[in-house]
Amino acid sequence: MSKRQVAAAGAGSDTSRDSTDALDARRGVGLFVGRFSMVGVLVLLIAVAMTLYPAFLKPANVSNILTQNSAVGIIAAGMTFVIISGGFDLSVGATYALGGTLYAGLTLQTGSAVVGLLSGLAGGAIVGVANGLIISRMNINPFVATLGTSSIITGLAFVYSNSAPFIVTNKPSLVPAYQTLALTTIAGVLLPIWILIIVFVIAGILLAKTTYGRNVYAVGGNHEAAWLSGLRVKGLNASVYVLTGVLSGLAGMMDSSRLGVGQADVGGNLALDAIAIVVIGGTSLLGGEGAMWRSVVGLLILATLTNVFYSLNISQNWQLIAKGAIVVGAVSVDAMTRTRRRG
Amino acid sequence: MTVTVTAPAISCRGVSKKFSGKYAVHDVTVDVAAGRVHAIVGENGAGKSTLLGMISGRLATDEGAITIFAEDLRAGDPRESRRHGLAVVYQELTMVPSLTAVENVFLGQLDAHNGFVRQRDMRRRFLELTSDFELAIDPDVPVRNLSISQQQLLEIIRGVQANGRILVLDEPSAALAESEREVLYRVLGTLKEQGSTIVFVSHNLDEVLLLSDTITVMRDGEVIGARPRAEWDKRSLVRAMVGRDVHVQRHAERRRLDDESFAVENVSLPGALHRIAVSARKGEIIGLWGLVGSGRTTFLRSLVGLEPGSSGTLRLAGRECPWPKNVRDAVRSGVVLVPESRGSALVMNMNASANFWLGRRSLTKVFLSPRRERLAVEGTARFFGFDARRIGDAVANLSGGNQQKVLLAKWAGYQPDVLLVDEPTRGIDIGAKSEVMSSLSRLAEEGTTIIMTSSELEEVIRISDRLLVFSHGRVVHEVDTAHEDYTVEQIVKFGFGEVENP
Repeated sequence: MSKRQVAAAGAGSDTSRDSTDALDARRGVGLFVGRFSMVGVLVLLIAVAMTLYPAFLKPANVSNILTQNSAVGIIAAGMTFVIISGGFDLSVGATYALGGTLYAGLTLQTGSAVVGLLSGLAGGAIVGVANGLIISRMNINPFVATLGTSSIITGLAFVYSNSAPFIVTNKPSLVPAYQTLALTTIAGVLLPIWILIIVFVIAGILLAKTTYGRNVYAVGGNHEAAWLSGLRVKGLNASVYVLTGVLSGLAGMMDSSRLGVGQADVGGNLALDAIAIVVIGGTSLLGGEGAMWRSVVGLLILATLTNVFYSLNISQNWQLIAKGAIVVGAVSVDAMTRTRRRG
Repeated sequence: MTVTVTAPAISCRGVSKKFSGKYAVHDVTVDVAAGRVHAIVGENGAGKSTLLGMISGRLATDEGAITIFAEDLRAGDPRESRRHGLAVVYQELTMVPSLTAVENVFLGQLDAHNGFVRQRDMRRRFLELTSDFELAIDPDVPVRNLSISQQQLLEIIRGVQANGRILVLDEPSAALAESEREVLYRVLGTLKEQGSTIVFVSHNLDEVLLLSDTITVMRDGEVIGARPRAEWDKRSLVRAMVGRDVHVQRHAERRRLDDESFAVENVSLPGALHRIAVSARKGEIIGLWGLVGSGRTTFLRSLVGLEPGSSGTLRLAGRECPWPKNVRDAVRSGVVLVPESRGSALVMNMNASANFWLGRRSLTKVFLSPRRERLAVEGTARFFGFDARRIGDAVANLSGGNQQKVLLAKWAGYQPDVLLVDEPTRGIDIGAKSEVMSSLSRLAEEGTTIIMTSSELEEVIRISDRLLVFSHGRVVHEVDTAHEDYTVEQIVKFGFGEVENP
């Protein structure tokens, strides 16, 4: 009997408790550094920014940074859900443009900014549902699916706007209502910044503290186990794209509201930027791991960096190069810690 | 060439392989004569595939050495194996589905001239090879459009054309229909005539006796006997595989069984299960045993809606129930499966408590409360011998035994009427094993019907009231383990599809 057991047990992967604990202790310091390394990078970056540019932390500058990044920020909050669920959404830029176009177009056509606002949100939601259905029901790779829908959405936005921007500022009577979304201040802070904060707080709670959030982690961490556990895997998979859809539509409307123009040819870099924010924060592209606070850190790193570059008058071209290098760097760090853990 | 003609094609000298500190293959010394067909047989977990893995150069040996035609074999590099003339056909085929038959056969060794692929030459060679073996395979058809058997033959042709002197096959006929097997046997015969050496592992004893010149029997990681074909028959093979006539007696006392709690009839899944009928009573433990691929796991999976193509009728406590469409249906009607593989059934980077609550109506509707969840899990965890202090640990950091306890607690936590358990003791240590078995016995005493599989026959016999032997998707024999003593050999014989004379 005992020999038989030896043979059978040999096939399994049995780690005794002692060895696991010892390994944990050895890894403890390294893991801590790995977990919070991006916070360190952010602090360092802010310190550099303050020496180069003493006005960096002045309220006017901070407000400026946050306003400029509110749109990409709330998209990144949605993207965090998508990436933790093991997916990917490349259509956020197109949905952002669609949101702005619908907002401007319908405001002009109906004379009501509220109708425009609702239609922008609805447009984003419809895109999200379509993405979700294509990916979860038809089993199409999210990368390909959203690449495809992205093109469709952009095309539709061009068709709807007749390839010309909707310029709300041409109708001065509508401008105050149209710009309420971007220019209202509450307690001295602009509405887009409030929206950014509220979206991150709600998204953070949703992800970390609710059953829904935990199920998203489960689907991304082990699809099979989630399915075996009786979770509605397909519904969960689809739901995260609805989140990015709605948030992208909202983001597009916020920017369109500030500019007073809605057009279809914007948002080209948004998908890359949003994914970069999530990844720089340390959320794994493999799914199942990560956190909303990480995306906040990623957003602040990218925002600070852009601000420093502007203040130093470094051209947009170099910003692109730096941004790309940071994304590659962050992913490499993730890959390296992963192989070390395995090996 | 300085290699003498008499050197064995493969020579294993004191070869051992450990997994997690335990021997899967121990001190094996075997010679495979050049130009012969050599079969390796044994029960599940006897170490056949591990030995084959080392011979093929895929696994490194921990002790001992392997030589191929008197040259040392270094493991871990497919090119090295190919250099020695080894051609390996695994159970998992290594074809690229989108490439054509010709391209797959020449994969990794394209015939090229100055960097240009010589399509026409490869095609000609391909047609030569297929006509040698009297096969009709369209060279230009994408492999995804070919049958499994045709793909397997292409794998063999790939090995042959790479100048393979030794062909290594793992369960070559397992996926094939009867008529397809004939083709395989013919091809192997042709190869032998051409002077190739063939080593293969198989569960099909008829095939082993038909094809081999020499048969090696393994048990518990060791070689029990390596003798010429003429000295074996089916009976002596089975005895050698199982060991002495071990009478296994039940440990548990016979419980008083209540009414019928569970009955299925006509459970079928095309190509896998054929009209299986099983019924069980409250508090009964039924063991399912069969060789790998006999259908026991598929049977359990179809009972909880994990096999979409399955059909059958289900009666629970005398009431007709619809055939389950998914896990939620099954759980609602009181049937629950503890899946086989811990790796695919647990979310490794979540803690034990989160895994427990995954997919179930939480204590709290929307917001999580990890503290309350842990408290609510403790009782169930203790029932299965899981240390309550480790409930907050990530499952990845737990031992295999503790992971198994989490899995059991997760599913038994539904307090089902019928608990299906697939391989609950695979790869866990002896202490955890006995805890798992005793907790299952206690569950049965409380009135749960338990249907479990295990590859360890003695273990199933010891715990179960009845044992059903599976073979080729059918229940071929039922053993009343509570009343009669059976030898392991007798039962294994049924598993190999041998029907006892009345």
